[in-house]
Amino acid sequence: MSTRLWVTGLGLVTPLGVGVEATWGRLVRGDRAIRPIQLFDVAGQRVGVAGEVDGVEVPASGWSRTSAMAATAAEEAMRAAGIDVARARVGLVVGGTTGGMFETEQLLARLHAEPECREVLVGMLSHPLTSTGDRLDERLGPFARLRTLSSACSSGANALVVAAGWLLAGEVDAVVAGGSDGLCRLTLSGFNALGALDAEPCRPFDRRRRGTSLGEGAGFLVLERAESARARGVVPIAELAGWALGSEAHHITNPAPDGKVVASLIARAVARAGLSPRDVDYVNAHGTGTPLNEPMEALALAGALGEELARIPVSSSKAQLGHSLGAAGAIEAAITALVVSRRTLVPTAGLEEPDPALGLVHVPQVGRPASRVRAAVSNAFGFGGMDTVLVFADPDRDTEPQRGAMATSLVVTGASVFGSCGLLGTEECGSLVDRHHDPGATVDPDAHLDGMRARRLDRAARLGAVAVERALSDSGGADAPTGLVLASAFGNVDGSAAFMHRIFDKGARSASPAEFPNLVPSSPVGHVSIYLGLCGPAFATADLATSGESAFMQALQLVATGEASRVVAGAVEPRSDIVERVLAALFAHATSQKGTQRSDVAAAVVVETEAEARRRGARIVAHVRQALEWRGRGLPVTDLATPREGRAEVILARADGGAGPLLARTPWSSCPQLVCAQAVGESDGLGAVALAVAAGRIASGRTDQALVLGLARGRGYAVVLGRE
Amino acid sequence: MSPAQLRAELKRLIVTELNLKGRDPASIEDDAPLFGTGLGLDSLDALQLAMSIEEQLHVRIPEGEEARVIFGSVRAIADYLARVQAG
Repeated sequence: MSTRLWVTGLGLVTPLGVGVEATWGRLVRGDRAIRPIQLFDVAGQRVGVAGEVDGVEVPASGWSRTSAMAATAAEEAMRAAGIDVARARVGLVVGGTTGGMFETEQLLARLHAEPECREVLVGMLSHPLTSTGDRLDERLGPFARLRTLSSACSSGANALVVAAGWLLAGEVDAVVAGGSDGLCRLTLSGFNALGALDAEPCRPFDRRRRGTSLGEGAGFLVLERAESARARGVVPIAELAGWALGSEAHHITNPAPDGKVVASLIARAVARAGLSPRDVDYVNAHGTGTPLNEPMEALALAGALGEELARIPVSSSKAQLGHSLGAAGAIEAAITALVVSRRTLVPTAGLEEPDPALGLVHVPQVGRPASRVRAAVSNAFGFGGMDTVLVFADPDRDTEPQRGAMATSLVVTGASVFGSCGLLGTEECGSLVDRHHDPGATVDPDAHLDGMRARRLDRAARLGAVAVERALSDSGGADAPTGLVLASAFGNVDGSAAFMHRIFDKGARSASPAEFPNLVPSSPVGHVSIYLGLCGPAFATADLATSGESAFMQALQLVATGEASRVVAGAVEPRSDIVERVLAALFAHATSQKGTQRSDVAAAVVVETEAEARRRGARIVAHVRQALEWRGRGLPVTDLATPREGRAEVILARADGGAGPLLARTPWSSCPQLVCAQAVGESDGLGAVALAVAAGRIASGRTDQALVLGLARGRGYAVVLGRE
Repeated sequence: MSPAQLRAELKRLIVTELNLKGRDPASIEDDAPLFGTGLGLDSLDALQLAMSIEEQLHVRIPEGEEARVIFGSVRAIADYLARVQAG
């Protein structure tokens, strides 16, 4: 199978215009879209300018501006590529950060006044991060696969990495991947609290730069294997030639000033593209315009590209678009692909006095044609130090990407559950379902953590740090390249509400700078990677009640494709007062409500290649025999592996998940079924608990194999773990 | 509030707002550097502390280089607050 991946379609919604051509023309001319915000009242904010997309039409209830922009961009990309979900297996990957926070803020303001209003409560959970993927699935799907992820400001770039993994594994024929993020009061207040915004439109690389400017928008790319695109007669825009992602494990908001992690990622991405710094003709920088970003990024570029950097133009599109957070990585990836395709460099608008300390070659003010752009680098760095580097290349190049073989034998080497059951290691997870644990029991992560080092961690991050540390300890200890994927269904709802209520009560200047980073969906991942010093790929996934399963699937992919040799997958779900009130309002009159009490839980499972486990001399707890995920109609039961000889069990997150009828059609129908919710209480992270329990039951000799089946509305996951 | 009371109040604020669990506010020395090598605080802590001081003691800490000097030690902050309040 060819490992060349082509970009065959692009879609953009940016403050400069709706559509690729509208954005591109103004981008090259050097137009800037940063102006006073009109979307909401900015009274009391230190800075109130941003890049805003005009005329976003929200089609119906259940839609957010974020989802509406995503639909427009994804549709444009799919139309350009000419892909048809009815004729091919098409995947969708959505990166984001704020989801429907703008819409939720309006409800929060009402909730503040009327805490028990049912209408408001029910609406509170209408716009989780997953809602964008779900709306796109309804509008443009059905998609064969769907992943929602967040790594703050590198989310959109990581969406492309996930898409590449699916294509290289042959899971799908094409992927629509990108990111979308709408402006909201919470983000503006938070960035203002951090003092990170320039009162003027931001000036990346300028010696007078004082901060970034926020923006909003959506960018989506269609990626395909070159051979299938060629078979369709499609002309490629560019090749997604290489990529690399990793974590700085340094600080929740500040980049590591030495730029070493970023330098190693740029070098790795270029090398994996089968290219060298001599082939790189352009860099689209992260270039936020903050005092700290640019020196770090310049050092990293110099470290990776060496003396070649002296001839490579570097620019930042944020001076024109603002920083659209979860969308930025995808929008800028699309721009970088266009730079390669059109051999035209886009500028850093407003760059009048380049900072000489940076030592970079610029494209000031307006774009210009280039004689050739053989390859171009796009950087995206997120809160918590989650960095991603993409390399786009001329699809007619005569070099081949350097990619290792996909790992086929994956294993589990550690597991942990932390919650009302206490802190359980791998074997103990096996006995979790043997008895009922009071879901209301106090869960105290602080007893397991170093107080001073953990002082910035909120409850979710604390729960996660305890579970991840234990799972890694059982797996033979942490080492730096370890990756981390943690899931959460709704993110930090209570924290976001408290943050906004302070602003409603006391004004924007009371926004807490320390609390703001904890409101990003990837915050627990960032905190845990910093606390434990994990430098591998890291991001958050979300998939409603099957969020834990989505993290596990994602970790398997990162390991199989060689992004990391070892990845911890898990879920972190602290109890949420608001989620509980919403559920109480939703189920007040329903007879189907099981009344299972919700509880704090974090669970983690360590996955790696069998070869890596053997190299380390680690104990193999279980082998991953099969891992399936699907959307829509349901598990094609014929795909599910038959239990081998020996004892077999089915582990379910919850009893009423609809697994019964599905299981009845599988060879697992007569196996004993164990239900996690009955043992530890209800939580959206139960999928990760079920996986830890399955690993623990095999590790402790209770069973020889286990099927973990996770189902939620319109989505499902099946994982088979076995002793061999 | 006497200068000593103000310094004690600032120490309490530092411990609670920056979540320095288990740290006795009285153990923070008046002249010890707060950032870098001293108490080990960083720029994010400085922002949080500035926000809390503005909210609870009603004095706005200037941003940028000026803040770096004011946040040198508990005594430096207290002196700045006293100067501002004296008007």
